[in-house]
Amino acid sequence: MTLLEISGLTKRFGSLLALDNVSLTVAEGEVHCLLGENGAGKSTLCNLVYGVYRPDSGSIALRGRPLSPKSPADALRQGIAMVHQHFSLVPTMTVIENLMLGRARPILEYSEMISRMEALDREYGFVVDPHSVVEEMSVGERQRVEIIKCLLGDPKLLVLDEPTAVLKPEETAALLSICRRLTETGKSVVLVTHKLAEIAKVADRTTVLRHGRLVETVEMAGADMRALVRSMVGRDVSSADAVLAATIGIGDAAEPETAATARPKTPVQKTAGFGDGTAALELVQLTLRGRDGVSKLDDVSLTVRRCEIVGVAGVEGNGQNELGDILAGLTTPSSGTVKVDGRDVTRATPQEITASGVGIVPEDRHAVAIASELSVAENLLLGRLDRFSRFGILNRRAMREAAAGLMRKFDVRCESPDLPMSSLSGGNQQKAVLARELSLDHLTFLLAAQPTRGLDVGAVEAVYGHIRAARDQGLGVLLISSELDELIAVSDRVVVLYRGRIVGEMPGNPANREAIGAMMSGHVPEPVHV
Amino acid sequence: MYQSQYMSKLDALPLGSEEFGLVVKRVRVFPRWPLQIGVPVAATAVATLIGLVIIASTGTPLEDAVAAFWDGMAGSTFNVGASINRAVSLGFVGLGFIFANRANLTNVGGEGQLAMGGMFATAMALHGAAALPFGLAFLLPLIVGTAAGGVWGGIAGVLKARRGTNEVISTLLLTFTALPLVYWSVQSFYLLRKPLSPLSSLPESPEIPEATRLPLLFPSDQTSPLHLGLPLAILAVIVVAVVLQRGSLGLKLRAVGLNQVAARRAGIQSGSLIIIAMTVSGGLAGLAGAIMILGEQFYLTNDFSSGYGFDGLVVGLLSRGSAFGVVLGALLFGFLRSGSINMEITAHVPSAIVLICQGLIVIMIAGSAIFVERMGRR
Repeated sequence: MTLLEISGLTKRFGSLLALDNVSLTVAEGEVHCLLGENGAGKSTLCNLVYGVYRPDSGSIALRGRPLSPKSPADALRQGIAMVHQHFSLVPTMTVIENLMLGRARPILEYSEMISRMEALDREYGFVVDPHSVVEEMSVGERQRVEIIKCLLGDPKLLVLDEPTAVLKPEETAALLSICRRLTETGKSVVLVTHKLAEIAKVADRTTVLRHGRLVETVEMAGADMRALVRSMVGRDVSSADAVLAATIGIGDAAEPETAATARPKTPVQKTAGFGDGTAALELVQLTLRGRDGVSKLDDVSLTVRRCEIVGVAGVEGNGQNELGDILAGLTTPSSGTVKVDGRDVTRATPQEITASGVGIVPEDRHAVAIASELSVAENLLLGRLDRFSRFGILNRRAMREAAAGLMRKFDVRCESPDLPMSSLSGGNQQKAVLARELSLDHLTFLLAAQPTRGLDVGAVEAVYGHIRAARDQGLGVLLISSELDELIAVSDRVVVLYRGRIVGEMPGNPANREAIGAMMSGHVPEPVHV
Repeated sequence: MYQSQYMSKLDALPLGSEEFGLVVKRVRVFPRWPLQIGVPVAATAVATLIGLVIIASTGTPLEDAVAAFWDGMAGSTFNVGASINRAVSLGFVGLGFIFANRANLTNVGGEGQLAMGGMFATAMALHGAAALPFGLAFLLPLIVGTAAGGVWGGIAGVLKARRGTNEVISTLLLTFTALPLVYWSVQSFYLLRKPLSPLSSLPESPEIPEATRLPLLFPSDQTSPLHLGLPLAILAVIVVAVVLQRGSLGLKLRAVGLNQVAARRAGIQSGSLIIIAMTVSGGLAGLAGAIMILGEQFYLTNDFSSGYGFDGLVVGLLSRGSAFGVVLGALLFGFLRSGSINMEITAHVPSAIVLICQGLIVIMIAGSAIFVERMGRR
């Protein structure tokens, strides 16, 4: 039976046609997946259903009754709930306090709320302690709190916007099983994503959007993954390499053997003078203890040579963030040394580290890398303003030209370097960060932390192209990622961080996937395939 | 205002461009400047009307009050000049506010920085500056006053940069320290208090020597009180506008204000910039204090700052970060202050009523700014 019926929905923003005459239905008890690249109109569609925007034309019906939510609150009352990509929890409050927000009655009935939570827990298998403080919880747990918050209103339809983008593999699995259980109790779920593999496991039907238009809606039983990718990207992806396949997840989901053998093992073109294996980065017995005395990093020693990409695998929260912060100069280690090109930068300021030839593509782009209100040109050249100013007055034209040059070189797609950074898509922002970091002077080492998180297929391809090119020009690259397939496909060798220690090292070979995965969860290393 | 310039470019984005998801929030559909001018003007008019109703309700004949108000603002060459001199002081404080605010710092301590500037300028003028040649007699006290205000603001900057102390709290507390310091200095004979005489026993400093007073702009015209402060203020407006709009310092301040971590990563010394921003901000307020003493008051009293620092803060807030806005705001408040003082003296309107009217105008202007913003976003 049809729960939600969308017919001919169109939405314009100014002259931009965000959604063009899209019609689809969501059945009761169905997991319906919305697939598309960044900017394909997935979020716009959800926001129309959730009452954030009003459609220009077209109609929505819920169980046959016309639905035109005026606001998210209105949509909630009518039985539609949505979990956004960015959570709306108060970090300093506990779970139960967050759940109480917005439904505050004069007297807060904590015991009643807890019993409701327990009931939901029994039904769907959320494992959430009502009294833990949100800021101490993992992303996966926070997401489950968001879902619980939605379920308290007993919705008929739950919309999840890019729910898996930030999750660890096992958290993704837990989320998908929750989705399945939701549909078993008669609720419908709309999953927005651009990652295909995980969706294939859970979706009943998938609707592909591209450039605001509906490409097709297919039954997932027996669907051809490659055909789906083709309609999502708009071209054949056979030209793309194994990294790409790994990113969308079609490689290992469909045919793992092919993915492994098809990986183009490009020979490293070592530039003369750099091929001698000198160390770009040396970490010697690096230890970082938190305020509570717990070791975040424990005796980490690692050398990244020039012309080499070293991947750091590990489940999130095993010291990757701390490692990144130390390399960026934002944290000082408790003991140990960091050497870049032979020079000790353990206690250097961020400025000194930049000057010593370290480029950093940080995990949290918005918090650490860019000022999104500043223009693209300003962001690109922020570290080199003195070169563009005379007597303290900026030469805007020279800045614009230099920025345009960088944007061409790194394929940052944007109408003008004067636009604010926030007007760029995530992928282009990431390319801009890469452009800035890779154009630093005397670069010897690049740290890339989760450089493709949340990016669409085309941008992922570009980012890895740039990272490989940097390696081939003689840089040492340290790549931190939670996506094992990417790590294996891009890195020359992979080290595994577990509870702040390096527990093993393996060549970046698909055959080692299982072994690396085992080490990530703390198991003893398996025999190595080279 | 900053965003409107690329509005037309956004309209040219191709259909289905992958950027649109984020761009939409910034699209402006109609030009905003008529609104930006018109709405605040209308708001001021409405506030004035309400003010008149309140004045009428106190029993003062309206025509007397209005006449007194107008006379005080612009009734004579002297009154116009006095209003402009007030605007000069307010303008310096306002410029200081927007300078620090560019780095997302809120300097609410203009009053204290102004008080320190005035006190040290008085001290310099009384002790040592008078005999100096080449105009140094008044320039040196101006510089010392600026430095004193700068130090007072800079302390908050250092606290913020080194210890992360919230500058709103530190500048406010520093103000509550500075004002008693001024009081102490004019109460104590070993500091700045003038010797007791049969004519006067008030706690205030002696008059500063003639040579240390700011030269009048039109010395031949006995009725014009305009002094060197006005050209200094015009110069300061231009310099601050250029530094903030076109200078690399202005961009660095913005970067630090918007995202300190990213700015540090990009090689910007965020700590020193915070200290610089607060020092310059305090220095401009200190200069305002020095100009008030050297240009008009000529001797230091306990309460010589009389709220100029706080009014200047409001001027800075209303200007929304633009130096030109500071000019408008300073003139508005300068003339208002003159008019209301005269209204109080000649038409006997209680000063509280006048303050209420001023408050109304501030609320209306700030409210209209929010209104214009909303209209633009719709």
